[in-house]
Amino acid sequence: MFRLDARKPVHFCDGLTRRDFLHAGSIGALGLSLPGLQAAKATGRLKDDRELNCIMLFLVGGPSQLDTWDMKPNAPQEIRGPFQPISTSVPGLQISELFPRMATQMDKVALVRTLYHTATAVHDTGHQMMQTGRLFSAGLEYPHMGCVTSFLKGSRGDAPSHVLIPRPIGNTGGGMPHGQNAGYLGKTYDPFVLNADPSTPDFKVPDLLPPEYITAVRESRRRKFRETIDQSVKAFEASPDARLLDANFQQAYAIMSSQSTREAFDLTLEPDAVRDRYGRTKFGQSCLMARRLIERGVRFVTVNQFETVFNELTWDSHGSAPFTSIADYPTVIAPNFDNAYTSLIEDLHSRGLLENTMIIAFGEFGRTPKINPAGGRDHHPNCWTALLAGGPIKGGTVVGASDEIGYAPKDRPVTPAEVAATVFHAMGFDLNTDLPGPQSRPIPLVDRGVEPIYELF
Amino acid sequence: MPVFARLLAWVVLIPPVAAWAGDTLRLVPGDLTLDGARSMHRLLAVETSDADTAVVTGDLTATAHFTSENPDVAIVGPDGTVTPVSDGTAMITARVGDRTAAAKVKVRNAAATPSFSFRNEVLPVLTRLGCNMGACHGSAAGKNGFRLTLRGYGPELDYDVLTRQALGRRVRPTAPAESLMLLKSTGALDHGGGARLDPASPEYRVLIGWIAEGCPAPSAADVAVERVEAVPARLRLTPGQSQQLLVRVHYADGRILDVTRWAKFESTDIGVAKVDEHGKVAVVGPGAGAISIWFSSHVDLVNLVVPSSAPAESSVFAASPRNNRIDDLNLARLESLGIPPSPPADDSSFLRRAYLGSTGTLPPAAEVARFANDASPGKREALIDRLLESSEYIDYWAYKWSDVLLVSSRKLAPTSMWSFYRFVRESVKANLPWDEFARQVITAKGSTLANGAANYYVLHRDPIDLTESTSVAFLGLSLTCARCHNHPMEKWTQDQYYGLANLFSRVRLKDGTGANGSVVAGDVVVAVAAEGDIVHPRRGIVMAPQPLDAEPLPLEARGDRRIAFADWLADTSNPYFDRAIVNRVWANFFGRGLIDPEDDLRATNPATDPALLEWLVDDFRAHKRDVKHLIRTIMASAAYQRSSEPLTANAQDQKFLSHYPIKRLPAEVLLDAIGRVTEVPTAFAGFPEGWRSLQLPDSRIESNFLDAFGRPAREAVCSCERSDEPSVSQALHLVNGNTLNEKLRDEKGVVARLVREGEEDQMVIETLFASALARLPTSDEAGQLLPALAEATHGLDGDAATAARRQAIEDLYWAILTSKEFLFDH
Repeated sequence: MFRLDARKPVHFCDGLTRRDFLHAGSIGALGLSLPGLQAAKATGRLKDDRELNCIMLFLVGGPSQLDTWDMKPNAPQEIRGPFQPISTSVPGLQISELFPRMATQMDKVALVRTLYHTATAVHDTGHQMMQTGRLFSAGLEYPHMGCVTSFLKGSRGDAPSHVLIPRPIGNTGGGMPHGQNAGYLGKTYDPFVLNADPSTPDFKVPDLLPPEYITAVRESRRRKFRETIDQSVKAFEASPDARLLDANFQQAYAIMSSQSTREAFDLTLEPDAVRDRYGRTKFGQSCLMARRLIERGVRFVTVNQFETVFNELTWDSHGSAPFTSIADYPTVIAPNFDNAYTSLIEDLHSRGLLENTMIIAFGEFGRTPKINPAGGRDHHPNCWTALLAGGPIKGGTVVGASDEIGYAPKDRPVTPAEVAATVFHAMGFDLNTDLPGPQSRPIPLVDRGVEPIYELF
Repeated sequence: MPVFARLLAWVVLIPPVAAWAGDTLRLVPGDLTLDGARSMHRLLAVETSDADTAVVTGDLTATAHFTSENPDVAIVGPDGTVTPVSDGTAMITARVGDRTAAAKVKVRNAAATPSFSFRNEVLPVLTRLGCNMGACHGSAAGKNGFRLTLRGYGPELDYDVLTRQALGRRVRPTAPAESLMLLKSTGALDHGGGARLDPASPEYRVLIGWIAEGCPAPSAADVAVERVEAVPARLRLTPGQSQQLLVRVHYADGRILDVTRWAKFESTDIGVAKVDEHGKVAVVGPGAGAISIWFSSHVDLVNLVVPSSAPAESSVFAASPRNNRIDDLNLARLESLGIPPSPPADDSSFLRRAYLGSTGTLPPAAEVARFANDASPGKREALIDRLLESSEYIDYWAYKWSDVLLVSSRKLAPTSMWSFYRFVRESVKANLPWDEFARQVITAKGSTLANGAANYYVLHRDPIDLTESTSVAFLGLSLTCARCHNHPMEKWTQDQYYGLANLFSRVRLKDGTGANGSVVAGDVVVAVAAEGDIVHPRRGIVMAPQPLDAEPLPLEARGDRRIAFADWLADTSNPYFDRAIVNRVWANFFGRGLIDPEDDLRATNPATDPALLEWLVDDFRAHKRDVKHLIRTIMASAAYQRSSEPLTANAQDQKFLSHYPIKRLPAEVLLDAIGRVTEVPTAFAGFPEGWRSLQLPDSRIESNFLDAFGRPAREAVCSCERSDEPSVSQALHLVNGNTLNEKLRDEKGVVARLVREGEEDQMVIETLFASALARLPTSDEAGQLLPALAEATHGLDGDAATAARRQAIEDLYWAILTSKEFLFDH
């Protein structure tokens, strides 16, 4: 039987323990009044000692707000689009007929209908802002929320703290970073990336287990030998890449040695009916894997619905090749999302995990209200909708309203930074925490003055 | 008042100046000419270094007391701003404590109030206020029906929008203050962007003045901006200090104006310094950085040095070895920062480093002892010469240039891909001068099978792609932003972009046909047409073909425009071409370029050591752009031969080469090295046994290992395609994956051979260390490893002992081949 000793989670390079760090962060909060926070605590929706998990579903391409969760049935035909609104489990709240299953769960889901950003309308900027809360500039890359979580909370036992499935976002045309790694925090806090499609019949995590001819005795001898060699050269201590390599090996061993982590990736342990319910698609099976990972101690799971916007059906519905048209929504893309998302909420709810697991889902921008001559809609960062559910989120809430054609927020505009602040706040992070930037320059978790969306709590 | 009390009061009143008495106080920019009633200019009172008066070491403007000797000519405000009164000359004096500095101010045309220029005054104000930024009216769709061009790149369009659209309500020359553009921007009327303009500000005066004059239009006669200058240009400061910057615009008519209020500032390294929107620099930490300045599509840089708080003695730098000019410049740079260099690397480290850096291979085990025992003084130079003549050198650099040129079967038929690769390889083999190499690519014509270089035009089929890919490959410049509008933070304009693109507008491709009219697989004929131009999409006109910052060709000129481009590449007035290749080669040896990223040579991304880069470029040109000479010079330098072991005082340095920067081996080098040490080369489908990954002509040859370790896809010209960073997946692959594990237990592999040949444990360890690490085990290591190997067979004999011994040796090999010392170039 293969067995390895459990390894300790990765420590900070500067010798700071997590407790020291959180303590330092909390001092900054003294004397600050956060009325919204107090109110949220008073209602009992936020507990002080939360261990909240988060699943981020990135709807790569940017769903059209008008065809999904912010419909304008009274707008002219060329704006309202081909789909009808349907009623949901929340009286008075309607969403698109594209999501019949989701409609039954809207009492658990909150909508923010007035998300907007003002950067260039390319995918990459939206990816950056929605995953890190900030637009990158001056060569500074900000960390993904999940990487911030890894940094502030460390791992729970052997489980990696942040897992990205199935693959990172690749080319979406802008040639910019997508905000999907640890940025200035350093690659030690990068997510563990699956890099495989869990819906394929022969799926297995690449290189998760040693070949059978490497016994536990040999494994331990190999590591002992390696430690002997690694002591010899001192040049490596100052090198960030060398320290990273050490951390990578430690993490690799931790993942290998944990039966529970290995099982988290094994979807064959799920009944066929369950797998079918999520949809036998890359996204469906990834959402199922996200649930299994959360159940086994992973704190943050990022699921990319797509990895590119080219030559593939995605939310990027410009209308003509190599992009998708709105007509493709009901056949492939929307059911793909509806089945996976709804099953995830249902499962977490029935297992009592929705209470401490937040599910956030959004694209990088909305689409232009007027349908273009190719039958599609183009990039529109002026207004789009985010979905939040689970954890302290008050289901059925609708934050903000867009104007009569979904062009811009009518009231309560919300920035990507506020979404990040909401996640951090829900995770229990003090928003005044400073993270160590390049050369230890303190960089605030969110810019000063950016507040969570308190209406959601 | 008694004398001592007066003295005391005087002492108490002295402002707390951080300067040493005796430092030179100066006014920058110095003597001024103010031309016209509106031509105010600020003076800064600064201290300069005794060693170099061009280097500013402190800003005393806030504590300085300014006076004008002749207030009838010019007056000076408490912040040093000089305003003209009447024609004449006035001395302006600044006093700080007992030190003074003066500047002569000449006033001309003091009564003249030239009309406001839309191009040179109104647009910069709109840009400064943010009206035309991407998030507001500068977005492609505008905002609320009002669209300006991004940061004013289209003056004619903006003029039309402001004066003619919206029923002309945006400007009202008969009642300027009621112009919509003023009512909105001041917040008097509801404005989505809020109140951005203060009616008491100079910006407001420019806008209302221009409207009151009847909104003079931009015209071709507008005086052109010649350059923009930031002062002080060089700063040497300490953490906590701050320094105000001034931005001056030089017009073609000789006038110089202070446009600090309307310039944009950005720090290139926020770990060294921050800069606010008013141009005030605040130093954060030690190192070297720069502040980039943008005004009206012109840029400039301010260089900043922040020495270490505990600088090393100058004797340290004097005693450090110098092999060539690189070392003089590098040590001067280190000394200016106070960072001491590490001692030279030992022979075995140098041997391994030199092999990896120039050929991507490990030194053969036999070479290790030979080199260590070679007592000749010039053995390192001799080794470099030998490596540069090896066939592995050709493979390695052909691979590298194939990365840059995107040699791949993704868009090329296999025959064409081979033809392209052969061209690259033959060029390296012949050590073709770099300008000649570029010329052969740029001017390639004819059959792509006969002339491999012509495949460049099959990969990049239109003038847009050619412009952008060629710029990155040969100039290290990304021009993509300028395709749709002037580059927002760089000097490149859309006009320049389409001038450059027009050099490529006459390239035509024809599918090749064989002798009897059949299409030859993969053969395409590249030809040049006699006519054809690319149209500037915004202006709807054709730009004269024009290399960057060079003279345009006449539009009607016949002949291959690409030849003019190739001529310009090789012209020494071209500041990019040689810097780009020198920086690429430098990055190969040190892990990062003097400019980083290695193919990002924009004006606002300064080199870590500008003087060194300049010298390398001069030397490269002086040697007819001989790449091998450049490589030899770099490898011969003491900087390259320095130990990778940091000292306490230089451990923080990642940029200035105080110690050799260690880096993970590139994917291909690593896979080849594993194949070599295990004596089981990796098999590639369709290639003979023993073919190394660095000999692959094509990035599309399947290899999970190469992909996992960051091989570039060769889809876009960008050094960012390659990743040399470690990851958990790589660690898992080394631990569990089949690449390393299968090679170690291969019957044809090194472990099986050593066991079969009955080598003693001592010999096994020495073979392993020499082949993988280019050194012998230390007695400490041998003392730990030998007993561990012996223990594996304890209590066993016969076949069981042999099998157990073999496994133990496999495990030792595994440990070495996953150790940092093996995985890194150090």
